[in-house]
Amino acid sequence: MKSKERERDMRQGIIYVGLAGLVTAFVSTAAWADGETIAVFTKNQTNPYFQAVRVGADAAAKVLNVKTLHYIPTKPDSIPEQMSQIEDVVVKKPDAIVFTPVDYKALVPGVEKINAANIPVVNITDRSSAGKFVAFVGADDYNTALETARYLLKTLNGKGNFIILEGVKGALTNTDRVRGFNDALKENPGAKLLASQPGNYQRLQALQVMENLLQSYPQIDGVLAANDAMAMGAIEALEGANRSAKVIGFNGTKEAVDAIKAGKLLASGDYNGFLQGCIGTIIAARTLRKQPVVSEILLKPIVVSKDNYQPYETPVESRTCPSWEQALTLGK
Amino acid sequence: MTDIVKPVAPARAFLSDDFLQILYRLLAALMICTMLAVSTESFLYLANILNVLRQTSLLFFIASGLTLVVLTAGLDLSVGANVALSACVAGTVIHQSGQPVLGVFAALATGATVGVLNGAMVAALRIPSFIATYGMLWVLNGLTYWYMAGEVIHGFPPAFRQIGSGYLLGLPTPVYLLVIFLAIGAIFAQRTVWGQEIYAIGANPTAAQLSGIPMSRRLLLVYAMSGTMAGLASVIFLARLNSAEADIGESLTLPAIAAVLIGGTSLFGGVGSVFGTFVGALILTLVLNGMNLLAVNSSWQPLVTGVIVILAVWLDTKARRRRL
Repeated sequence: MKSKERERDMRQGIIYVGLAGLVTAFVSTAAWADGETIAVFTKNQTNPYFQAVRVGADAAAKVLNVKTLHYIPTKPDSIPEQMSQIEDVVVKKPDAIVFTPVDYKALVPGVEKINAANIPVVNITDRSSAGKFVAFVGADDYNTALETARYLLKTLNGKGNFIILEGVKGALTNTDRVRGFNDALKENPGAKLLASQPGNYQRLQALQVMENLLQSYPQIDGVLAANDAMAMGAIEALEGANRSAKVIGFNGTKEAVDAIKAGKLLASGDYNGFLQGCIGTIIAARTLRKQPVVSEILLKPIVVSKDNYQPYETPVESRTCPSWEQALTLGK
Repeated sequence: MTDIVKPVAPARAFLSDDFLQILYRLLAALMICTMLAVSTESFLYLANILNVLRQTSLLFFIASGLTLVVLTAGLDLSVGANVALSACVAGTVIHQSGQPVLGVFAALATGATVGVLNGAMVAALRIPSFIATYGMLWVLNGLTYWYMAGEVIHGFPPAFRQIGSGYLLGLPTPVYLLVIFLAIGAIFAQRTVWGQEIYAIGANPTAAQLSGIPMSRRLLLVYAMSGTMAGLASVIFLARLNSAEADIGESLTLPAIAAVLIGGTSLFGGVGSVFGTFVGALILTLVLNGMNLLAVNSSWQPLVTGVIVILAVWLDTKARRRRL
């Protein structure tokens, strides 16, 4: 009995030593490289948009000869996790930070910590409600949604019955996009909003909501989805019910571009994660090198449709970042 | 001694309790249906009823395997993440090989493997199931996120898509699968020795062990079944949605647990049924369907679901206390 216990203790001991070894190995690979390092914060690993941001940041870093280090919450959009990642970063002191808050209000104390540590930080994608930033690079959800919805309404001559598929309630992106959709509908007296229902940015939920709504409303002409995954879900529901309606999405993902090409999706609002990653990183690097920067670049809203989808077919991995001079012309 | 033996008493004693429990639930579902039929005319359309059943089926596949786990007083928190990984693996296999059949096998194999690993952690390493499967959830998420790197796999052969979006003699294909698996699940749990042993393990593990039930093997079986059902659900998901992405899992786990709880299966084990879970999934789907049809403001929808879960469990607890 006794020897069995000792054996178990030993086995546990070995496991602990092994774990410690793993942790050490992990920490040492994550250690800082020489030269300028820019820490890039994005919201999650699952949304293709943020993947594009990271690819953009890496592309810019390669050209500028800086190193990027990515901080992504393992649980998508987790506030506490991003907060603790900020705490880690403040201790490790990268030269600069490119930052997307997972929540524009809740992460303000985190931004203040970065400010207190005197690390220059560029805010991209979602504008933080407070804190000191070198610059903000973004495209606003509201205007992009407005323009995409206007495109839909123009296609339908300003009239018809419409459905809005909302994203996650309370998320800033969703609030702004839905507001943009609604405002575009209000501009057209002939447009009637039948229902505005939640799909939580999820394909399956959007599909099921759409299946249900198709029962209540015999005539649906247009669907405004707050992201591409939901738009694709809605299209599946429409096809399943042998009905047709013009659908718009948001984000300009690869899948959406394919669907636009195939004529299934009418358009997708895009605010170009790749460019935001590029420009944010360029500004961070320029700040470190004491080169002049601007305090804000708001990218013009882009509506990806059958008229202009071609450049979007190039996968983000093979796109190139604009030069600083070009970047300045992309703002509005 | 008689006390300890009680949980493995003849199955009939359990059935009558279960029967009442399910009857109440069916009545509740019927009540919701009546209310919806009165308040919105589109509810009773055949197309809408078929919709509800098809939507129920996906939830049921995930929740049915989970029910067996919960019956042993365990919990499988990894089901959603398992669906996501299995869907992504199956999607890749179909794209690479052009063979949907291989994809289906890949999904089932992935799901089952994850289930067996969960079972091994619970049965052999004696890790509490909540923690083992919670850890597994993260491992699977990590694998899926890394593997997909923000990409979406989309576009599958029309023949394969029939599994999810097709019709057979006027009924959606998933509804047939629903009926088949409901029958298999109910017969397995209620009418086989293994099924009854699962109840016994949940009701009183000490007694179950003393009466010679091979605990480890049954636990392994239960988690493997839960994993396999998640794999099956991923096939239906792929075929219905025509795409796989890394973050589909998170929104599936909690509704599945809700369906099990609303269906009357107790988290303490030994009480509940697969059929109950079907009714639970049905109630959950009906309520969402109704809220969509009535265009209820989106803010209220999660709240209503939460209240229903709490009500269902509370009523059960009350009923059980009265019976004892």
